[in-house]
Amino acid sequence: MLKKFTLKKLLALGFASTLTLGMLGSAANAELIDELREPYIQSFKGKKVAFLPIAMGFDLTEGWAEAMKAASEKHGFEFVIRDPNWNTNAGTQALTALIAEKPDIIVAHNPDVQSYARLLKKAEKAGINVIQVNMKSSYSTNVYVGADWVEIGEAGAQEMVKRCGDGSGTSGKVAIIQGPLTGAASVYQVKGVMNILDQHKEIKIVANQAADWDASKAKAVTQTVLQQHPDLCAVFGFWDVMTLGAAAAVKEAGQTGKVSVLTNGGGNQMACDNVKSGAFDKVWSYDVPGQSRDLVSMIKMIFQSNAKPGDMRVALYTPLKVISREAFDPSICWSLKK
Amino acid sequence: MASANAFTRARYKYFPDHLIGELLSKRWMESAVPTVILVGVFGYLSLNLPHYLSPINLMDLGRLYAEFGLVVLAMGLVMIGGGVDLSIGSMFALCNIAMLSLINMFGWPLWAAIPAVLVFGAALGAVNGFLIGYLKLRAFLTTLVTLIIYRAIVDIGLMNFAVEISGGFLESEAWDFIGDGDIFGIPSGLIAFLILAVIGHVMLSRTRPGWHVMAIGGARRSAHNAGIAVKRTICLTYVVSGVLTALAAVFFAARLGSAGSDVGSGMEVGVLTAAVLGGISLGGGRGSVAKAIMGGAIVLLVTNGMIRMGMEGGSSSLALGIILLFAVGIDVKWLKNRYKIINKVYVSPSYLELPDAPSPEKGSGTPYEVNDRLKTVTAIGLGTIEGPEDVILDHNDNLFAGTRHGDIIKFSGPNFETQETFAHIGGHPLGMAFDPDGNLLTCVGGMGLYGVKPSGEVYKLTDETNRTWYSINDDSRLRLADDLDITPDGQVYFSEATIRYEMHSWPLDSLEGRGNGRIICHDLNTNKTHTVIRDLIFPNGICTSFDGKSILFAETWGCSISRYWIDGPKRGKVEPVIPNLPGYPDNINRSSDGNYWLALVGMRTPTFDLAMTMPAFRRKMARRVAPDEWLFPNINSGCVIKFNEAGEILDVLWDLGGENHPMITSMREHKGHLYLGGISNNRVGRYKLENADPDWVGIDSYWGKKS
Amino acid sequence: MNFNISWFTQERIVFSIALVLFLVFSLSLSGFFSVDNLIVLMRNVSVLGILGIGMAIVVIGRGIDLSMIAVMAVSSAWTLQLMQNGYGLGSALALGLMCALAIGVANGLLIAFVEIPALFATLATGIFLYGLGKSTMLDLDVIYLPENTGWFEEIGKGSIGPFPMPVILFCITMVVAWFVLSRTRFGRFIYGTGDNPLAARITGIPIRIIITGQYAMASFIGFFAGIIIATSVSAVNTRIFHSTMIYDVILVVVLGGIGLSGGKGSVRNVVVGTLLIGILLNGMTIMDIQFTYQNFIKSLILLGAIILDSVLHPRNEETAQQGDI
Repeated sequence: MLKKFTLKKLLALGFASTLTLGMLGSAANAELIDELREPYIQSFKGKKVAFLPIAMGFDLTEGWAEAMKAASEKHGFEFVIRDPNWNTNAGTQALTALIAEKPDIIVAHNPDVQSYARLLKKAEKAGINVIQVNMKSSYSTNVYVGADWVEIGEAGAQEMVKRCGDGSGTSGKVAIIQGPLTGAASVYQVKGVMNILDQHKEIKIVANQAADWDASKAKAVTQTVLQQHPDLCAVFGFWDVMTLGAAAAVKEAGQTGKVSVLTNGGGNQMACDNVKSGAFDKVWSYDVPGQSRDLVSMIKMIFQSNAKPGDMRVALYTPLKVISREAFDPSICWSLKK
Repeated sequence: MASANAFTRARYKYFPDHLIGELLSKRWMESAVPTVILVGVFGYLSLNLPHYLSPINLMDLGRLYAEFGLVVLAMGLVMIGGGVDLSIGSMFALCNIAMLSLINMFGWPLWAAIPAVLVFGAALGAVNGFLIGYLKLRAFLTTLVTLIIYRAIVDIGLMNFAVEISGGFLESEAWDFIGDGDIFGIPSGLIAFLILAVIGHVMLSRTRPGWHVMAIGGARRSAHNAGIAVKRTICLTYVVSGVLTALAAVFFAARLGSAGSDVGSGMEVGVLTAAVLGGISLGGGRGSVAKAIMGGAIVLLVTNGMIRMGMEGGSSSLALGIILLFAVGIDVKWLKNRYKIINKVYVSPSYLELPDAPSPEKGSGTPYEVNDRLKTVTAIGLGTIEGPEDVILDHNDNLFAGTRHGDIIKFSGPNFETQETFAHIGGHPLGMAFDPDGNLLTCVGGMGLYGVKPSGEVYKLTDETNRTWYSINDDSRLRLADDLDITPDGQVYFSEATIRYEMHSWPLDSLEGRGNGRIICHDLNTNKTHTVIRDLIFPNGICTSFDGKSILFAETWGCSISRYWIDGPKRGKVEPVIPNLPGYPDNINRSSDGNYWLALVGMRTPTFDLAMTMPAFRRKMARRVAPDEWLFPNINSGCVIKFNEAGEILDVLWDLGGENHPMITSMREHKGHLYLGGISNNRVGRYKLENADPDWVGIDSYWGKKS
Repeated sequence: MNFNISWFTQERIVFSIALVLFLVFSLSLSGFFSVDNLIVLMRNVSVLGILGIGMAIVVIGRGIDLSMIAVMAVSSAWTLQLMQNGYGLGSALALGLMCALAIGVANGLLIAFVEIPALFATLATGIFLYGLGKSTMLDLDVIYLPENTGWFEEIGKGSIGPFPMPVILFCITMVVAWFVLSRTRFGRFIYGTGDNPLAARITGIPIRIIITGQYAMASFIGFFAGIIIATSVSAVNTRIFHSTMIYDVILVVVLGGIGLSGGKGSVRNVVVGTLLIGILLNGMTIMDIQFTYQNFIKSLILLGAIILDSVLHPRNEETAQQGDI
């Protein structure tokens, strides 16, 4: 510190007779500094990010919001949440209003592939960058951050083949429990599952039902299926929170360990607990903290690059983490800070 | 003391107490609470949300409102008819995907697809309508089931064709206009909504089908008995509801092009809330398009506002629940208590100071000294006639008297023993006069000015006058036409005693002492009616002066006779004739000696005169004391007075015991006799006049002797 | 045999349909007619049935309780939340119950004293409670049951002999509700109030107290059902508030033959309605019919039942009650 000061002083003394005071600043340029840092800090000033989830109040959206909020507090950009609370119509109204408000970035979590499509196009036309998270719309915007549902479906199906396929000594009967049929998560996961199972005719899907992300419904469906097919080999549920109901049904039937319960989710602590307790056999986690980091990175990138809507078409598919009893690692899971 | 009086006088002169009661009794006051809420919500949002009043935002709101409003209209119509349509949200979703699949999957052109969807909506509504109207299922349960059926069809459709249905946008200018266009800044959807709202309003309030719907909702059984096609009408309300919902869905499809699975789910709750909040009652019979519009606007603004304010899902539900409770709670209490409030505040006394009354007591030296001359009155039609307010006689010595049953009775024969119903009018005939053609004109309480031809045929002259633009009560309708007279040039001047009370409650006006009455002129030549003098204190008797240049009129609670000049230099002026009577004047008629007869219906009392200067006392009385116990002016004993053009009292006729003729509201001189009427009497009195022209007939003094 | 069509009340029609379906399924579906499956069948509709009984009490008293699902979800989720936050099981249960009763009493007060129509009062309190729960009482939409709660878990997961606890609890609720409705003064007063509130008041029945009481009972039953759900799947998803479950509950009640105009019906009607729904759902799941198609078929059969009732007992303009929708 002292050294720096004296160097400055010397320089100033040396050129004092010829240089104006204004040149003093450029004199500092001679110092070695990170030329990216200042623009980086400045890029956040006066910026606004709006987050439009399907709803707040569950692990995924709370996790993303927490990360974005932390970033906004650290870097000083504005961050707002519009919570339509599972109501698509409210979501479209919120999006319409956001377009009028003109934030710099809208982070949209689509309830289905179509509802926001037209409005997202409108938003881009209005010069707003749109990041879609986890649930894609049929209209692609600059950035998609989220799970690769097809991959998850394929992974689940492969696991079912492994556990129930030829040579496993089981009946080969599996049950699939979906979310709402039109949601991106259901549509693409089914596609992934079918990609694999079409080549494995030994696997029999004895039930393929939609439980609308509801654990009670999943439980009722699983109970009936177990009643019909006591030799069921595996249940694949499309979301861990819902699959909990299926796991409860398996447990009550005394089939824990005999019927594999496979599912996927955001890697919340609940998933690890249930894997540990044996309720779930394997959970593919799309790792909300990782997704959050991707999200924030993309926000930073857009701010600094001054990207305009339509400049790029980027997808950041989240690397999957696997939670299983065989290779149990409690650090995979996360929980909300509050 | 004097200044205190002056203050009281000024306060009651300038502060319009009576307007409160009149405002409250307006039917549109039912919507007062929703209106206040709407204004409050809108005001709050525009203050708290940036750019809320910007054209772009208002346009976005307008678009949303058009869709929601159409569905609220649909629900409102069904509810007014006594039903409910819970399936509305599912119908909306089904029509939405029908529209999208027609244009996206099947590639139909818009001109075919939109009508097809409307027909589809009508068909969906018709299912409800058939089940509820013709099969008489319960609306709530039936539409609950169709809600699930239609929703299941939506889900099945989406499950199989989601991608095809929502694949791609239709590139069409017309389609974009429907979804996103505007004319002069008014969104396309809103224009359609406004047009339909106007049509709906006219249909519901001005046409037969609308009345049928209202009647069925109000009393289904009575409607059925009245011959209304209940089944068909109910069915049609659901069909129309389906069409409106389908139209809303078309706009929604054009705006978003979204086939989301939860489109329209839970919509029925919002729509039902909107309808009830606007004031459309569950169970039917009460409601209007304006109420639907208002309720829809409140719910949309509140729900949209909460999303806009970035309220977290939970908090906005919380707020919505509280708002709903308060709004419905206040509305319920308001509707329930409004009539109680009206009853309490409608009577609004004002300040009226009368000079001291001249004493009619014996030995007081005034011209009004009591006597017992009417003791010799004989009764005509005793016990067979009720409430002959006025009597009149024609050339053939036939006596005509109105009754409270709505008839004019004709008495004939040497001693009037023959009695027949001359005409049935329907309302209580009050003052009467013959026009030059021999038609009997009469003021009918609650109806207006009517005429009866010599054949007995009844015809209407007028039942309305020009409306005063600043009046709250509709003063164009005649409520209590009282007495009339005809001028030589064919103008019928008639008094309307009060514009604030109906025929049966006229005594209440005495508590107010305000100028609630008026004199109206009906021109027999042009059949035009206009109000001549306003703000008179219960104007009553009217008589054209002998020269035909002025009319004399009595103000009952004002205890005075005045003259209104209709011709000559003072034309249009009012001047007092007798400023201070000892009683309450009623009808005025001509006498054979060129003077006027005047009936005093009752005598003033010092108590009531004092009370008239104490409006607060009378108000308290009207609010707290049962009507039977109220202090009313005495209208039980009166007299007949003769006065001249100058207002001097020439003669007084009293019936002290009140046995022969208990109450006098009018008198008519005819061939040396005076015939007496009384609005609560059961007879017509006949009194032999000394020194009167035995051949004088009243009509002749107007229209000359009949040859 | 003395055949008379008026013998076919809605209850009997629905029961007959249920019986026919039962026979058809037993003959055509392998695995339908087995003790185990019938227990599963009962088990799957036991919560619906319990809620139906709560709703029936209110409907008999000429009301309707749309807040039941919110009460069920939020009060039970709050109980779990409190347990997660370190409260003891007893105090958490007591607080959850108080929360439910508070809403029930609030419903009653609003309806009986402020005279807000039941439809709106309960709609609003439901939305209110859900909002309150989401914004302040609960951390997340889905609240999990903490580990190792001992007997508490048995409420949803345990069984006595071959019968799972929820089925037994359904039966207990039936018996208690039957007793209250038909053998106590309070229950008879509910019928009186529902049949003709004005007449009931004139005869001296404290109808405002009765109304408040019936909503409190409904809320209590809602909480009870919530606890069964919570312990049976180890979690409560408050999003159930957004589902059409409340309509299912109303359907069970009305389908069994309890008129919305009040004063009529008993626990038996609810059982009949619940049985029909249970048989339908179970049979269709065995046939692996998609949930969406299940809904469609279910509602078509319901519609058929209502139409049949209407054809057999037509309402005419003379008997139709004004305002009876």
